[in-house]
Amino acid sequence: MDSGFLLLQLLNGLQFAMLLFLLAVGLSVVLGMMNFINLAHGTLYMVGAFVGFAAAERAGSFWAALVAGPPAAAALGAVFYAGLLRRMQQAGAMKQVLVTFGLIFVGIDTVRLIWGDYEQTLPAPSVLAGSVHILGQVYPAYRLFVIALGLMLALILHLGLERTRLGAAVRAGVDDRVMAASLGLDIERAFFAVFCLGCALAGLAGVVAAPVLEIYPGMDMAILIPTLIVVVVGGPGRLAGAFLGALLIGMAETFGAVLVPDFSGFMIYAVMALALLLRPQGLLPARHSS
Amino acid sequence: MSTGERRQHIVAALLLLAALAAWRFSGYAGEDRLGEIAVWAIFAMSLDLLVGYAGLVSLGHALFFGLGAYAMASLALFLKGSPSLALLAGVATAGLSALAIGAIVVRLAGVFFIMITLAFGQMGWAYFLRARAFGGIGGMSGVRQIDLGRLGLDLANPADFALIAIIAAALVYLLLALITASPFGRMLVALHQNEHRARALGLPVQRYKLAAFALAGALAGFAGGLQAQRTGFVSPELLVWTTSGEVLIMVILGGLGTLVGPVAGAAIWVVLRHILSDMTAYWMMAMGLFFIAVVLFAGGGLMGLARPRAAADDA
Repeated sequence: MDSGFLLLQLLNGLQFAMLLFLLAVGLSVVLGMMNFINLAHGTLYMVGAFVGFAAAERAGSFWAALVAGPPAAAALGAVFYAGLLRRMQQAGAMKQVLVTFGLIFVGIDTVRLIWGDYEQTLPAPSVLAGSVHILGQVYPAYRLFVIALGLMLALILHLGLERTRLGAAVRAGVDDRVMAASLGLDIERAFFAVFCLGCALAGLAGVVAAPVLEIYPGMDMAILIPTLIVVVVGGPGRLAGAFLGALLIGMAETFGAVLVPDFSGFMIYAVMALALLLRPQGLLPARHSS
Repeated sequence: MSTGERRQHIVAALLLLAALAAWRFSGYAGEDRLGEIAVWAIFAMSLDLLVGYAGLVSLGHALFFGLGAYAMASLALFLKGSPSLALLAGVATAGLSALAIGAIVVRLAGVFFIMITLAFGQMGWAYFLRARAFGGIGGMSGVRQIDLGRLGLDLANPADFALIAIIAAALVYLLLALITASPFGRMLVALHQNEHRARALGLPVQRYKLAAFALAGALAGFAGGLQAQRTGFVSPELLVWTTSGEVLIMVILGGLGTLVGPVAGAAIWVVLRHILSDMTAYWMMAMGLFFIAVVLFAGGGLMGLARPRAAADDA
């Protein structure tokens, strides 16, 4: 294997990792703060992609998708939260899994009802449609954009978490929810804000993924399990955990596909099983006191 | 025998009578449904042992269903062996795999147990999706049928298959009723209710959980083998995680930890799916909404409605 090939695969892995990271942030916060498994998180990704696609069709520009997709996912997330998730918090893991499992089916059929049962394409914007030369290799510019966007958002989220009041409330909520609440922090409101932000990021991931992957009803199912794996491997509730987990799974998936094609589908599940056994709380566990 | 158990057995006997009556008087389509329901009922009962009694919520139980089906189909196909031996080999394959995987997964609890069973289930699915020896994504068709000519039965005939499957489901019910009423079964419930206490009393908790996991896996494999017999076809769809989710819903729908509840849950689920998919192309939405309503509003499942004290318990 020559170094050029290695570079291309590294970039591919990084690109997929950034998508997974955008998705994992929201899921991780829900699991870390509320101990809640939201299987319907992928649905928001799909909705972001389809709304973005519709907006781009109408406006004739990819950037319209980027503007329309994330808020649509956030709005839907807010409805989910008010209607279902809030009252499911005390319900136990199994019921949460099953209710959000039901939501997946409702989501897929709703999308089929509105946009039909077709694969749609959202072409990359013309500015980014070409290729770029890096270290003697040719690489699609759009994929570099995805990597840059992911890294930039990771930095912004990190700063937001460490430097803002909301960020402090979220960190406190993950560490010890009861204590934070008794100190007068409005954890409920902080959680709602972060939940909506996570949904917006999932919607953003849907739009950003659209030119690379395909848009179709059921695309949520294809991404949900890898995202869950990222969260579990990284350690729920930690931004750095989601980032590290996304890198690990993104690379495992990409290199698995080229190095051991027969077991490529296998790799990420094996990584997860191994991670759960060696570090049941994730690579970077939240500092839970309870 | 507690009053709850007596009530379960009465409901089970009534269901068996209803199934036999339906078998006697329904036409071709009804017979096919009955066979389908009986297979899912066995699968759902095996999961109930795990979720309802031992308190282990698995989102990967379809792995053993699929392993049983694939082992049955491939042994009957490749080795030209007797299909009935292949069915037994399928049960053994599923049971032994469950024993091996169980040894790893029972160390985790709660959300992490759900996740690791999901991971193992998906590993199996990803394997069969690619495995050329087993037909890859297209699966394998032309599964050879068990020859019951000596009994005057032909499993290719839905009526005969339904009868055999109903009897098999009744036998699995009896087996599980005996197991759950045995000291072993009582211990499972005890460690589910309070693991710390069970541990303090000196119960080898992990070993009990493992035994339940292996047993549930073997029975799921039996259901899988029967499914391969029924459809004459196996595919990776058998193992995908949504199949695990569906069977979990059947268990919840009927009532956790009641054995007979999951049978009723399977019947309702199968019938409803056929009715809805005949009515509309968007039947998944209707099923999803039904699903959510069941979880939100019928905590103890159907059996919970009939009982004063619901055993419904969250993992």
